[in-house]
Amino acid sequence: MTPALAASGLAVGRGRSAPVAVLSGVDLAIQPGERVALVGRNGAGKTTLLRAFAGLDRPLAGEIRWAGGGLPHGAARVRRVGVLLQGEPASPFTVRALVTLGLALDRPPGPREQDAVDAAIALAGLGALAERRCAQLSGGEAQRALIARALVAAPPLLVLDEPTNHLDPAGRAMIEALIDQVCSPITARSRGEPADHRTGPLPAQLPDHRTGPLSGGVAVVIATHDLALAATCDRVALLADGRLAALGPPGEILTPARLADALGAQIRRIDDPDGGPPAFRIARPRREVAA
Amino acid sequence: MTPRAVIVAAAIVCIAAAALAICAGSTGWRAPWAWTAMVGELRAPRVALAGLVGAALAVAGVAMQAVLHNDLADPYVLGLSGGASAGAVASLALWPGLPPGPAAAAGATGAALVVRGLAAGPYDPTRLLLAGVAVGSILASATGMILVLAPASQLLRSATSWLFGGLGTPHASALIAPAIAVTAGTAWLWSQASRIDRLTLGDDAAAALGVAVTRLRHGLLAIAVALTAIAVAAAGLVGFVGLIAPHAARRLVGPCHRHLIVLSALLGALLVMAADAVARTAFAPRELPVGLVTASIGGPAFLWQLRRGAA
Repeated sequence: MTPALAASGLAVGRGRSAPVAVLSGVDLAIQPGERVALVGRNGAGKTTLLRAFAGLDRPLAGEIRWAGGGLPHGAARVRRVGVLLQGEPASPFTVRALVTLGLALDRPPGPREQDAVDAAIALAGLGALAERRCAQLSGGEAQRALIARALVAAPPLLVLDEPTNHLDPAGRAMIEALIDQVCSPITARSRGEPADHRTGPLPAQLPDHRTGPLSGGVAVVIATHDLALAATCDRVALLADGRLAALGPPGEILTPARLADALGAQIRRIDDPDGGPPAFRIARPRREVAA
Repeated sequence: MTPRAVIVAAAIVCIAAAALAICAGSTGWRAPWAWTAMVGELRAPRVALAGLVGAALAVAGVAMQAVLHNDLADPYVLGLSGGASAGAVASLALWPGLPPGPAAAAGATGAALVVRGLAAGPYDPTRLLLAGVAVGSILASATGMILVLAPASQLLRSATSWLFGGLGTPHASALIAPAIAVTAGTAWLWSQASRIDRLTLGDDAAAALGVAVTRLRHGLLAIAVALTAIAVAAAGLVGFVGLIAPHAARRLVGPCHRHLIVLSALLGALLVMAADAVARTAFAPRELPVGLVTASIGGPAFLWQLRRGAA
């Protein structure tokens, strides 16, 4: 199977005029329907790597292939990769208008595209808010509207930068469920199987989306500090010391020892006895008591 | 009202205002059906020019606001007003017999190029705005210097009437070129409306959505400067139109540029035509500079909008 995203020997840097290398020697292939989390400290290069995956910045070295090819510039690129960036200001558009902006630019939106917009809005659980201005949405709703915009052109790859940042637990759960819905394989869904138990049941607002243009199997790369979100992914990539320090299933990577190395903090992992996603707690640094 | 209905209504109001503006004049009312030489040769071309100038400034304002990510940007913001007045006043001082329009347009374009050059490197709207403020103030002081030091006192009078905007008595044939340029510029901008919508989301978001951001930005800046230069060459500095028309249009039809560009052009034309009618008739037979009228109508209207926005 052709990977949705394949990076080899990748080096990425920050700064537009004279970029400083942040990460180098990154080899990573992401299969359709796979979820990969990028975890690391602030400045480890999560966002920088993600921007290269999104095709926003050119890598300093190495190569990225999107579904086996290059990323076209211009109109067709939204069909190859959907992008959620951090810190996009609330726009004055309505949810519907915002999601419509995610369509490819090469033709005026026709009835099929309108259906795709409706489907993406419904998938994001925003059906009732379609005509609401984005500035009037809650943080979680706004984030889901942006994800719907990234999804509306049905790209095989979704690149998300801190999708759960600043969200309350309910908003966070909605995002998790949405990501789950987007990458769950088509076959599992068409058999009507329930969503993956790790993310819990889907919120009622999310429709069963069998026939729409967003047919699942999307590969998702997530840069995140949210270790519980990372634990729901298929693989976790730990970024530290300017390289991809570790890559593997969350059970192997999100261990206290590795996290202490990569994040510089003592983190306790609390496993759910019922098999749900683990919780992570940062141990408070011990105070030296004066004798 | 749907955006389309608002635009149709604005077009009807615009046509009605043009008709009224043709009827009104310093020598009293003339019914438009009495198509006398005065109406045909003096008033109609002037009203048409007022409409063109207003539309050009409003559309340039939309483009500037999009490219600078700043709703307070107006067509003159990148040092264009300073460049235009320096050019015009220098022209009036050196060649008093010639119209100052071409020199003003050249000054505005030159100032914009200098500002873009000063803010070269990675695109940063703040740097561009700051360079615009600096260049604008240098050129404004140069303008003042010429006015104070030039020997002819006549200069002060002709410069003042130009600096506050004045449409003069254009010949109908002189309107053809600006009309074509303004129409073409507006049409190009309209063709880019869906890209401009994406650009308002931020440069990265626009790039992620498939917009060639740098190319679009250059196009927008070029169109904004060209339209402003055309307006400045024809009518001097007519303030506030390029700021308030896009704002009012945004209130009426929302942020989608497909509607915003058309409605801004109509509202800009409407505002300058109405202001010019007032300028011609309020103190007849003396004429006010149209820029003073647009500012005195536009300022309070803007404040009213602000208050409504806050409420």
